[in-house]
Amino acid sequence: MSLIAGDLRAFLASGLKELRILRRYPLNFVGGIFWAALLPAVYVLMGRAYSGGSDPRAVAAFAERSGTTEVAGFVFVGYAMYMWLSSVLWGPGTSLRREQIQGSLEATFVSPVSRLVPLFGPGVSALIPMLFSFLVTFVSLWLLFGFVPPLGSAIPVLVIVAVALPAMYAIGTLFAAGVLRYGEIGPVVQIVRGTFVLACGITFPVAMLPGWAQAGAAALPPTYIVSDIRAAVLQSVPVSALAGDLFITIALTIVISIMAIALFRVLEASARRSGMLGRY
Amino acid sequence: MTAPAAVEARALVKEFEKGRRTLWQRARGRPDTRTRFRAVDGIDLTVESGEIFGLLGPNGAGKTTTMRMISTLLEPTEGSIRVLGIDVAKEPRKVRARLGAMLSGERSLYWKLTATENLEYFAALYHVPPKETRARVARSLAAVKLTDRADDYVERFSTGMRQRLALARALLPDPPLIILDEPTVGLDPQSSRDLRDRVRDLRAQGRTILLSTHYMEEADQLCDRVAIIDHGKIVALDSPTALKRTIRAEEIVRLDIGVSGDGASIVERLSRAGTVARSERHNGTLSLTVHCASARELVPAAFDAAHAAGATVQHVEVVPVTLEDVFLSLTGRQLRE
Repeated sequence: MSLIAGDLRAFLASGLKELRILRRYPLNFVGGIFWAALLPAVYVLMGRAYSGGSDPRAVAAFAERSGTTEVAGFVFVGYAMYMWLSSVLWGPGTSLRREQIQGSLEATFVSPVSRLVPLFGPGVSALIPMLFSFLVTFVSLWLLFGFVPPLGSAIPVLVIVAVALPAMYAIGTLFAAGVLRYGEIGPVVQIVRGTFVLACGITFPVAMLPGWAQAGAAALPPTYIVSDIRAAVLQSVPVSALAGDLFITIALTIVISIMAIALFRVLEASARRSGMLGRY
Repeated sequence: MTAPAAVEARALVKEFEKGRRTLWQRARGRPDTRTRFRAVDGIDLTVESGEIFGLLGPNGAGKTTTMRMISTLLEPTEGSIRVLGIDVAKEPRKVRARLGAMLSGERSLYWKLTATENLEYFAALYHVPPKETRARVARSLAAVKLTDRADDYVERFSTGMRQRLALARALLPDPPLIILDEPTVGLDPQSSRDLRDRVRDLRAQGRTILLSTHYMEEADQLCDRVAIIDHGKIVALDSPTALKRTIRAEEIVRLDIGVSGDGASIVERLSRAGTVARSERHNGTLSLTVHCASARELVPAAFDAAHAAGATVQHVEVVPVTLEDVFLSLTGRQLRE
């Protein structure tokens, strides 16, 4: 078996292993329902209260900034993005950290597999909770607020998610690499997640940010991803109209991926010098 | 052309930094006050193909650090290592493909997966072809006698079974060289014996085993050659029999004598009958280890010396020479200290 074929198979095996472990903690999925369905509902109800029970003038002001009158849809799509972002920021890093603590990281690193496999592989398993939270989001929108996404938006959403996957992966691995050298990266992930929530328009339109913050948001892939999914689901915008955003997302993905791999290599070499791989 | 040695380490040094230097200290340009200590201090060793080679030493002697450098997990500060003729620094991936390693023991497994699921995952990491995976997993489980527990979650295994499963994982790539770091630590005597039997089976298959241990019985019973390591240096290297022969004694007498003073006169008198390798006084008991040609002559002399000093012999034990005594004679300390 060639090295690349072997690594590819190991990559899939790594994702499968994580999925098997995930399946053995089914209560996590119950938590997923709570976070994906009830919390965004709180924001929608809050928005309705602030707008005087969806006063038409308030809804029009919202539409002027967000491009849609569908407040519940706007918030729920943003929250699905937040769930996804959380899982990619925590997922690979937590997985590496867990392997480091339990001692299996050394067992992995003493095999001939590429060091990038344990870094990227576990991210595959993050797809399932992500798809699950998307499903819960749309079902909740329908059951709680009577909003049914148009069937025609399915393909554009799939295309956007397919382009977004590598970008989200790259963001997650950028932070996961820090585990090798520094062990705990929880505080950094918290700060970064908070920054993304603030900057990328998760619960409010980016137009609400000051100009300089909007410029910063333009450098973050989740800004484009959440905005494009909203456009597809809430305004039935076709993929062709989103091509510009998708190209920017791909370009940002390439930059972040290069940064993630370079950082991983530097920190892995440092961990091999300092002996941090086996420490917990 | 002769086959290369399984492991060849030359002038191996590993230094670690002691202490911390915070980002704040770096930002303020504070001088680096960290000190460096040598965990491994100039080790030279050659492990021949087909032998069981043991690194024996107390905790913190540098055994695990040496094993980690050989298995490519740690970068040496100085020196070189060749595994099966391959330079570890230049071609680490090639080395890892030919190496079976059991470094973190039971902790290195996924407890929420079954034994088979664990091995299937690691088989993929070792690039075992998919068509061969099932047979290779079955063979590895059979080699450690875990076939009947193949589909049980690892969390339901005993510590000994988990250690054996970790050994099974090391066998997956069918490696000519297997590295075992403290393989029986934490195991009950039966499980330890069981694991040692498996290690002997592996040697019988023609594999080379490099193991570290701080159990002298393990090194004595299992190893063809043993390197005794202390403070990062090899202090002796030979077969267990040859190492024990370096103790110029036929027997070892261990004595506990109740004394009121320092017991110096007893030590002095016994020094004439043998070699006092260890002398410790604790809570009014003088514990002595004496190397001698004949216990039949030394024991009465010990009673006479105690009687003359107004002391009482509380315990006498005559034992054959062990690697523990070799370590004691070389370092003045016991392995368990």
